[in-house]
Amino acid sequence: MYFDLNVPVTSPPLPRQAQPTKGKGKQAVVPVAVTYSSAQITAIEHRIDLLVHLGYSVLAFNQTVQRKIDPKTFVNVLDPLLAQLRKRTDVVYLKRLTIVLDDESEKGFGLTNNHQPLVAPYDLLSLAPTTHGSFSLACLTHTLPSPLTTHIISLPLTLPRLPFHLKHTTVRTALKNGAVFEINYAGAMEGEGKRNWWAGARELVRVTKGKGVLVSGSVNNEWDLRAPRDVANLITLLGLPQDVAHHAATTIPKSLVVRAQTRRTYRAILSEPRIVIPQPDSTQPHPEPQQAAEVALDQAIDSTESNEAVASAIPSSQAIEPAPASTQPVDLRNSKKRPLEEDKDSVQPGGSGDGSERKKKKKKNKAKGGGAS
Amino acid sequence: MVRFKNRWLLVEFIPCPQDDALPSIRRTSESNITSKDIYAAMKQSVLHNFGDTGWGAVGYSLTVKYFSPTTNICIIRVGRDQHKIAWGAVTLLSTIEGRRFIPNVVQVSGTIKHAQFAAIQHNHIVVARYRALAKTPAGYQDTYGSFLDASTKEIEALQD
Repeated sequence: MYFDLNVPVTSPPLPRQAQPTKGKGKQAVVPVAVTYSSAQITAIEHRIDLLVHLGYSVLAFNQTVQRKIDPKTFVNVLDPLLAQLRKRTDVVYLKRLTIVLDDESEKGFGLTNNHQPLVAPYDLLSLAPTTHGSFSLACLTHTLPSPLTTHIISLPLTLPRLPFHLKHTTVRTALKNGAVFEINYAGAMEGEGKRNWWAGARELVRVTKGKGVLVSGSVNNEWDLRAPRDVANLITLLGLPQDVAHHAATTIPKSLVVRAQTRRTYRAILSEPRIVIPQPDSTQPHPEPQQAAEVALDQAIDSTESNEAVASAIPSSQAIEPAPASTQPVDLRNSKKRPLEEDKDSVQPGGSGDGSERKKKKKKNKAKGGGAS
Repeated sequence: MVRFKNRWLLVEFIPCPQDDALPSIRRTSESNITSKDIYAAMKQSVLHNFGDTGWGAVGYSLTVKYFSPTTNICIIRVGRDQHKIAWGAVTLLSTIEGRRFIPNVVQVSGTIKHAQFAAIQHNHIVVARYRALAKTPAGYQDTYGSFLDASTKEIEALQD
């Protein structure tokens, strides 16, 4: 499964030749209902056919906004497009919004709570900073989990020099928060920015040490499209190992798309918590294992005691029944400390508590793994 | 004694519709490209993207072994140690003799045998796609069958 998370879409009101060389999509400025002409739909369908032939199966259409989101003029051009496209069974379409940041957008570029209905339909949000201030803003502020998290940071790699220094701490914070840095391979194909692209991409690879690097297309001309394995080989020429180059078009975008779904949940929590009130007079909550029948009476008492101890060790806000069937709220970010403490408490000699404790531990571990990825 | 190891790239050149701004040498004549053209374009691409050292590494072992104008597939041989440079040069190639192509590396294999298998299989896929596009009735005899037989023989005749 190969991903191309940047398929630029020409918005219908503007002519095709608006900014042909920039490697970015076009801006939608006309606040009317968007309909695509049949010629445009045919062109986009042809592009999709070609991408599928080359081996891509997940495509994200990209709408680019310059400077900031202005609610007066902002038009979602992707929803009408997806409605008009032919249904394909083996291809996934995603919607992506890119905001190109410059000096003026450092004051605020519209990713605020009152504009949330505008950006909510998009699957992915991304920022393309062009100044030092907006870069640190994008890395530090806008990667924190919220309904407005931006997960992709796209740098202008084809400029003669990167307009800012990629500071290690800034980049590391962004990566820790789960953002990825994007390399658009179109820069290596198109005319004048070619050499700068190699330098910029090498610099990005050096700073990120190959972690969290995403490769996508952003291809405007049809003849600049390349197959995913060819692109992976290009990335190895940047000095990355082969497996990292492969992951840059497969695993990293996959986990990114899953992570981007947490924008729709409360504080990036994926599971749905369910309160289970423990019944005080339930006699035997769970069936005893086979050997438990053979242990002596005092051990049985031990085990019930330890069950209570576990119940008291868990904070009351979570309100979990000690039975194995209870569902726990899984906080992706804060689940680092707690399982260890509980495991210390739950160590006990044999008995009936073991099974449930082990199950819980497994669940916690899974949650931890999900949080780390 | 260790033998000289190669990589065999099976490349499909997907033709693109021409745009009028492009200056092309063979604009008027619709003749197909040949394996010589591909070799020349590869050489230009390596020299342009990797310079003289790149061509020095690759040039000695680079050979275009086979090219089929009908299905636009091509088998390229290159030494194993430098095959990434050659592969990168293929990827960065966009025009051959002034015509736009999308190079698509279908397979990279260590022996010519598996490149041959992949090429034959790829020919079948392409012919099946052509037939699906033509939408001819079920019993219709087209020329693709004989082409497949001929090309299979031709590919199998390739030697190291």
